[in-house]
Amino acid sequence: MVIENFRKPLRLLCIGCEVLARPVYLCAAQSPHIIDVELVKRGLHDQPADLRSLLQNKIDNAQSPAYDAVLLAYGLCGQATAGLIAGKLPVVIPRAHDCITLFLGSRQRYQGQFENKPGTYWYAQDYIQRDDGSGSALSMGSGTDTDLQAVYDEYVEKYGKDNADYLMEVMGAWQSHYQRAVYIDMGIGDGAAVEARAQAEATRRGWVFERMAGDMVLIRRLISGDWLTGPGDDFLVLQPGQQVVMTYDENVIGCIPPAI
Amino acid sequence: MSEIVKEIYDSVVDGQSAVVQQKVTEALKAGENPAVILNDGMIAAMAEVGQRFEAGDFFVPEMLIAARAMKSGMALLKPHLALADVKSAGKVVIGTVKGDLHDIGKNLVAMMLEGAGFEIKDLGTDVTPEKFVSEAQTSGAQIVAMSALLTTTMPNMKTTVEALKAAGIRDTVKVMIGGAPVTDAYAQQIGADGYAADASRAVAVAKLLAA
Repeated sequence: MVIENFRKPLRLLCIGCEVLARPVYLCAAQSPHIIDVELVKRGLHDQPADLRSLLQNKIDNAQSPAYDAVLLAYGLCGQATAGLIAGKLPVVIPRAHDCITLFLGSRQRYQGQFENKPGTYWYAQDYIQRDDGSGSALSMGSGTDTDLQAVYDEYVEKYGKDNADYLMEVMGAWQSHYQRAVYIDMGIGDGAAVEARAQAEATRRGWVFERMAGDMVLIRRLISGDWLTGPGDDFLVLQPGQQVVMTYDENVIGCIPPAI
Repeated sequence: MSEIVKEIYDSVVDGQSAVVQQKVTEALKAGENPAVILNDGMIAAMAEVGQRFEAGDFFVPEMLIAARAMKSGMALLKPHLALADVKSAGKVVIGTVKGDLHDIGKNLVAMMLEGAGFEIKDLGTDVTPEKFVSEAQTSGAQIVAMSALLTTTMPNMKTTVEALKAAGIRDTVKVMIGGAPVTDAYAQQIGADGYAADASRAVAVAKLLAA
């Protein structure tokens, strides 16, 4: 049994990255269970160790009887979730490398996209709207031009113009390896303005722009408690004391000690 | 250390590319031994850059501009080094693994290794296991160095190690790996010979493996 002393509806705490805000809120509203949502800043992705300790704190603070289990609307996220330990409650986490799997609905679909076009930059509504300039997904460049200008000015002051030009070229070189930008449309609310912004950025960077329909199925299954009847292939359910580890295979994550 | 070699050393540490070029030209003109310029001026300077990075005094930008300054001096020095019969520290084939397009770290490692006297064959980004194998075979490299930034692409390190095995050259090359999600435990798990957490430590690991 995944959860002892089963009561219905369950009280679940969903801790999620803010880039998934709308899908998480929508699925929480429609869940048969009682869901509290706590969103965490997207910029923390750049500091996996900080993100891990923040998530661990939230996990440790969640206790019975207030909650029956903790849901993480996260992937492995640069190994930020590797090492997390379930405290007093079970912790459920989707098997995913990162949020793109959660936006696309399956890791197989993401894998297919990745193998086909690795040089893809992904955009989504909440990801763009909640950009506060403090973090970027992969590298410098996902911030705005203002950020880049500030970085450049700092480099000029510290290292001189010649070196600053060089540094901007080297640190921005990843852009030239990318060929495609995809806006994942989750179909929630009006994302037209955000999509237009993604398209404008893609054009400015010389990337081909594409719009792709997202699929909320993983987030929905996470929040509706689909894993209660057994974790299946798509979720990892940690019992108290178990720890998330990266598995380096198609399962993405596993736990130690292993489930009995 | 002569005054001019000291100036080259300082300019490399400070990342002053133009000054390094000017001083190297002057030093060569003055008859300074190219091997001394290389070892005492540039390689020693890059070692200090690495130490400062490990100590937390230098960050990636400082490393990048120092490596660039070193490279610009090296370009001037190279024709003279062949004449002076300077021995290479070893040959390294380097690249980011299949599917991974992020190369700042890999470039930095390549430059630091070059700064430490290694010959570098840089295969760039998104390098297939087959490409690593064929380049390792033709170049006669002692080390194959792989980098990955994404957990999605990390498994291709294992695939490459297996490809080296299948090609029958696993025993003739050493494999080192690195990149943000990569760990020492992973290196051991896939049977790599070395792991380095950053570009500076990569130099120490490469030296150990090439010895």
